[in-house]
Amino acid sequence: MNVDYLVNSLYLIKPELAIASALVLLVLIDLIMGNNKKFLPYVAIAGLIAAAYFIIGQFGMNSLAFVSKSNKGMIIADPFGAFFKGIVVFASLFVVYFSIKSDEIKASFERHGEYYTLIFGMILGMFFMISASDLILIYISLELVSFSSYVLAGFTKTALRNSEAALKYVIYGGVSSGIMLFGISILYGITGSTNLYEINSLIQSSSIPNLTFILSGILIFVGIGYKISAAPFHFWTPDVYEGAPITITAFLSVASKAAGFALLIRFIKITFIKSVDSAGYWQLVDLIDWKTFFIFLSIITMTLGNFAALWQDNLKRMLAYSSIAHAGYLLLGMAVLSNQGMIAIIIYFAVYAITNLGAFFVVMLIANKIGSENIDDYKGLGYSQPFLGVSLAIFLISLTGLPPTAGFIGKLYLFIALVDAKMITLAVIALLNSVVALYYYIRVLKNLFLSRPANGTFEFKVSFSNGLVLVLLAAPIIILGIYFTPLVDLAKNSMQILGF
Amino acid sequence: MSLELFLFLVFAAVAAVSGILMITRSEVVMAALFLILNLASLAGLYLLLNAQFIAVVQVIVYAGAIMVLFLFVIMLLRPEHEKIVTKISGIRTFAFIIAALVFVQLAYVILKSHPGSALNSDVTASVNAGTVESIGTELYTNYILPFEAAGFLLLAATIGAVVLAKRKFE
Amino acid sequence: MSLLQLIGITAVKILIIFTMMMLTVSYLVYFERKISAWAQNRLGPNRVGWYGLLQPFADVFKLALKEDIVPTNANKPIHTLAPVIALFVAFTTYAVIPFGPDISLFGITIPLVVADVNIGILYVLALSSLGVYAITLAGWSSGSKYSLLGGIRSSAQMISYEVSMGFSVAGVLLFAGSLRPAAIVLSQHGWMWNALLQPIGFITFVVSAFAETNRLPFDLPEAEPELVGGFHTEYSSMKFAGFFLAEYANMIIASALIVTLYLGGWQVPYIESIGLPAGLVIAIQIISFFAKIAFLLFFFIWVRWSIPRFRYDQLMSLGWKVMFPLSLINIVWVAGLIMIFRL
Repeated sequence: MNVDYLVNSLYLIKPELAIASALVLLVLIDLIMGNNKKFLPYVAIAGLIAAAYFIIGQFGMNSLAFVSKSNKGMIIADPFGAFFKGIVVFASLFVVYFSIKSDEIKASFERHGEYYTLIFGMILGMFFMISASDLILIYISLELVSFSSYVLAGFTKTALRNSEAALKYVIYGGVSSGIMLFGISILYGITGSTNLYEINSLIQSSSIPNLTFILSGILIFVGIGYKISAAPFHFWTPDVYEGAPITITAFLSVASKAAGFALLIRFIKITFIKSVDSAGYWQLVDLIDWKTFFIFLSIITMTLGNFAALWQDNLKRMLAYSSIAHAGYLLLGMAVLSNQGMIAIIIYFAVYAITNLGAFFVVMLIANKIGSENIDDYKGLGYSQPFLGVSLAIFLISLTGLPPTAGFIGKLYLFIALVDAKMITLAVIALLNSVVALYYYIRVLKNLFLSRPANGTFEFKVSFSNGLVLVLLAAPIIILGIYFTPLVDLAKNSMQILGF
Repeated sequence: MSLELFLFLVFAAVAAVSGILMITRSEVVMAALFLILNLASLAGLYLLLNAQFIAVVQVIVYAGAIMVLFLFVIMLLRPEHEKIVTKISGIRTFAFIIAALVFVQLAYVILKSHPGSALNSDVTASVNAGTVESIGTELYTNYILPFEAAGFLLLAATIGAVVLAKRKFE
Repeated sequence: MSLLQLIGITAVKILIIFTMMMLTVSYLVYFERKISAWAQNRLGPNRVGWYGLLQPFADVFKLALKEDIVPTNANKPIHTLAPVIALFVAFTTYAVIPFGPDISLFGITIPLVVADVNIGILYVLALSSLGVYAITLAGWSSGSKYSLLGGIRSSAQMISYEVSMGFSVAGVLLFAGSLRPAAIVLSQHGWMWNALLQPIGFITFVVSAFAETNRLPFDLPEAEPELVGGFHTEYSSMKFAGFFLAEYANMIIASALIVTLYLGGWQVPYIESIGLPAGLVIAIQIISFFAKIAFLLFFFIWVRWSIPRFRYDQLMSLGWKVMFPLSLINIVWVAGLIMIFRL
């Protein structure tokens, strides 16, 4: 074991190093500066920009870090990982900005050091989740994300729903990660390795007890399914999304989900792949029928998410169910098990990230002023605050997936992938689901524009910087809805996973 | 019967019996104590597998630290004054199904994988892997990244615990 | 060496150590009373035997004759179990502490330690972490609020100080490069005593040892002005004697550990190079080991009768805000020493 090997590996994990150093720096600055907390967000932003710089460098990379005699590599630097890390950093930048502006977060001023530190803990964990190729690192990173988010969900500690959210999150999270760990231990027991590449070469070459393998695979999926809030593991989502501070809800719904999907794709693609044929379809080792599994899961997830969203009056809670439904759509892309499906997922995710951040930003700005997230309290917002109203409308239309927004492009590519794979029934089910979704999104729009406001409810001004950020989020949705070639090119560049 | 087999049977029996006793006690403190016994006998099984370090850490961490905390909480909450919920519909059936599933699965793994097959060819090497020295070497070389990640995990957990527990910041 | 021989030799060693522990414990009580008397300008026990030397036996006799009272609210099995755990932990810990160099007798090399385990130090830490249960359970099972408070105080205290104790030990382990107590002793040859090389670690370890043994100034669990007798309020007769024995046995173990880890164990600096006969050297070494322990025991008692008790919050903040960071600093210091002098 020589030191060179470690140093060379460090070059490949620069984004992680940037985030880790920023985390430590945040703790130290909080310690030294005492009650002067106003530098913390700027340190956070600087750390994120540094990480973003290194991530851009990773688009050209394609190698494994921490390779040794006994391990084929712990972590991967490849374009696929770079894309999802990019999504995480993008979301984090906005969330840090939201946190500066959020009244909820401002109220717990004395805990800002811990707040930003824990956000960076989440980011670090997500980075590892996205690029890990070893079950041990995968598990630790999942726990790192979970631990930080448990605390952040209950961060303000003022409202009862806040503590309830944190507690529910801990209990569901603890159970699911325990189940996942059990699955990992069984997988290690039957293969003798924790490295995904090694497991892959092993299950291709030798016979493995079939039933056990299926169970271990499914048990591991429980942990991932919990992170992306897929159907039978989604119970925490509405309560946590509603109870947590809006900034954290936005972060969970975008970044956490991105990391979960990246992990899912990588886990399936590296561990189970046999070959990729010329049309881009993945031939998996036929130990577990992942295709059927994903088809069922996606149908349940999106149907459940969409129908439950119909009855919600709280906008945050409605967005929570809608995010479950979106996880269902994304799982459709997994069910195709092809490169085309993966491109669709990546496009969908890029759009979903921007849209969801925007939607939560508007909800936060309004909650700051009127202190409510109830849909009925939004009546007539479109008249008194046309700027906020129109932005929210854009975001919601994009979430529905109607043209000319970017959301349409995401759905379009998903459906094309489904039709190409001759999964017409599934496409039809997804389409019907979108119609259901249309109903509850439009309901909000109806409140915004078709009702008159009660006197003086919305008498406030949107500050210049908030307006600018809103435009930054809303403009790409329209632009990408019309001119989406760069997005597709990015997706095609980002789909390369190391190894296959 | 070799000494090893005899010890294995003793530890395994203690573990199994204490496990059953733990889930059937209605008194929480007794349940916790049987859990401690169960964890300690697992440490014995680890010893038999030549994993001395894991065995001692099992005692220090689980029996010595985590379970003390359990007892601590139980004692402060005085659960004997709480109402005992005897019946949650279907929960027993559900638990039984899960347990049966796990049991069948594990039995299947154990019966199907023969020692000496390609999958576990490294058994002899694993004998030497249990020493503190080899675990330390592995942690600081091959597994340095998960090790450091675990460090950050603990840091985040500590900060989180302080945030949640501390009522007022001066 | 055959298995039978091994078992025989180990049995003899266990027997010797057990007898010595029992004797030392009983006379430690006597000395505690004598020294406290001197400290307070009194006479101390002087009626039973010459200078009261038979006092320990009278004490044991008295305790054995007392009625064994179990309170109505007590949880009987656990109430009985607690002193058993205390004694078990106190007496088994000694198994891994070497009290002399290897000796050869009738052609057989015998290490002067009951079990020469390669994870010896971890074994000690594991057992000492189990020792918390004795006090916690005693406090809980008695069904009395004084006992419960005492039990809870002690478990919080022991957990807190175990952290800095463990980190101080880490410094020693860095030097020795081994978890075997025998190797740790040998790593302190000459004047390379850990107490001199890493004084911060030595201090934090000694303070933690005081807290772990629940001795003054850290005897909050049994602070009699507030908690009657703390966790053993509801104990009487031989069960009380069990706790009493365990407390003093723990003091001996703490002293033995301090000697092994920091004061060179059984070694006397440079005694091998003087040119004395081998047998005499070994005898001096074994005696020096016990002399060091005796001094530390005296130190324990001396501190008890000189320093007032801490308040509970002071105790906790000392543990977490002073001892814990100091023990971390010690690790950095040791690592620095190793970097500079051995690389």
